[in-house]
Amino acid sequence: MSARMDRGVVTQSLAQIGACGLFLLTLLAAIPRSFRYGRETVRQIWFVGAMSLTIVMTCGLFVGMVLGLQLYDVLSIFGGTSATGTVVAIAIYRELGPVVTALLFAGRAGTSITAEIGLMRATDQLDAMEMMAVDPIAYVAAPRFLAGIVALPLLGVVFCAMGVFGGHLVGVTWLGIDNGTFWSNMTATVDVHKDIINGVLLKSIAFGIVVSLIAVYQGYTTPPTSEGVAYATTRTVVASSIAILALDFVLTSFLI
Amino acid sequence: MTDPVSSRSDDTIVRVRGLTTVLNGKTIFDSLDLDIPRGKITAIMGPSGTGKTTLLKHITGQMRGDRGEVSVDGQNVPDLSRENLFRLRERIGYLFQNSALLTDFDVFENVAFPLRQHTKLPEVLIRNIVLTKLQAVGLRGAARLMPTELSGGMARRVALARAIVFDPALILYDEPFVGLDPIALNQVLKLIRTLNKTLGITSILVAHELAAVQHVADHVFLIANGKVVAQGDAATLANDGSPWTRQFFGGEADGPVPFQYPAGDYGTALGFPGGSL
Repeated sequence: MSARMDRGVVTQSLAQIGACGLFLLTLLAAIPRSFRYGRETVRQIWFVGAMSLTIVMTCGLFVGMVLGLQLYDVLSIFGGTSATGTVVAIAIYRELGPVVTALLFAGRAGTSITAEIGLMRATDQLDAMEMMAVDPIAYVAAPRFLAGIVALPLLGVVFCAMGVFGGHLVGVTWLGIDNGTFWSNMTATVDVHKDIINGVLLKSIAFGIVVSLIAVYQGYTTPPTSEGVAYATTRTVVASSIAILALDFVLTSFLI
Repeated sequence: MTDPVSSRSDDTIVRVRGLTTVLNGKTIFDSLDLDIPRGKITAIMGPSGTGKTTLLKHITGQMRGDRGEVSVDGQNVPDLSRENLFRLRERIGYLFQNSALLTDFDVFENVAFPLRQHTKLPEVLIRNIVLTKLQAVGLRGAARLMPTELSGGMARRVALARAIVFDPALILYDEPFVGLDPIALNQVLKLIRTLNKTLGITSILVAHELAAVQHVADHVFLIANGKVVAQGDAATLANDGSPWTRQFFGGEADGPVPFQYPAGDYGTALGFPGGSL
């Protein structure tokens, strides 16, 4: 019974991934047509990017602060508190920055994209566009997909900056690490290509593609009911979170 | 470039032949045949669940049947490429049952939406066209309201203004009279008639309101059990005396269309000993 249920879940998940892949192809084909809706894409970048700044900045600050505190505590055992800035920066640039930002983005922007498109489906707005000879994939789905890919790396950079600032606030301002040591150790160790470009930007772009695709797909294919929209929104968070963490491992194993 | 809808001269604009559609195991259309005359107002009537809206969706290519042909102005809709289907739809207006206004835009922008998407008209011309259409449905003063600020009847009239903004050759109305107060209903009836008379627009409307249909429709199809069971002008149909028309227009529970959805024995369901009541 349990084995049969497991097989059912696996089959269903594979079917979802396959359908999502086919949807991605449709989406990619619609992107050139969506360029004529540039204003809509910019509006979506504002909505999913600028409107997510508060949560990303706040969380980045606290993640950096708690990281600074924990690392100072551990490193003080070995007399290595001067490395606090370095370790905070590397942990944030390589992992916490892109991953936490993507998780926050899935919760803040991904769900709103899914709910918005799902409600448009439920209230026949997508069908109305079809009837007005406007392709909803190009007008609705593609701008939101592109907006996510543009916004997430930018948010990732902001998160990292706030994280390092948080680490500095705790390490230097509060716990008394020397300011010069904090920055010089960090700048001497952090590698722009390995930690910033590969760590923050590349991962964030990959997460942006995955989260936006899942959010748009879930919204577009949701059953046109209030329950359907609710489930789709939940699925966006669950599927995005799993995809982010799994993809992070795969990317890290290639990039490290 | 030929006009995909209005350039042909024959008298039938929509031709349905042998349309068979099965949805979730239920036969919606069983080799349905019907012809919609050009330049007339045609009403599609029938009991709930007989596929009247589904028929409209076949005409616009939103749905495809399992078998048969649905042609609009000589073009078989299921065979059209997406590009050609969109070209066809640019000449078709569609009034949705629930209005389907775009909630991000105000009334003005909703009506202007098709113009902005398919034309490069100067803003002043777009403004004049939109205001003309809104004036026609009595909502020029509501141009800057958001859809959430409209009543159901107002939203329907805005959707109607949007459907006619391109002066289409064919308009499909899905339940256009639901939720309208008597004043708005009368104005919408007049508008449908005026559009038909002055611009020669063909109208297909799905409706249940017999009095309204009698007032406006030139031809009525009564659909039941997946087929056309009666057709003609509304007054004739209402008095033709067949079991279908007698039950439908008389609103009788007994007749060829069962009022009750198929179910088991009522007495047994209520737990009475011996079953039947």
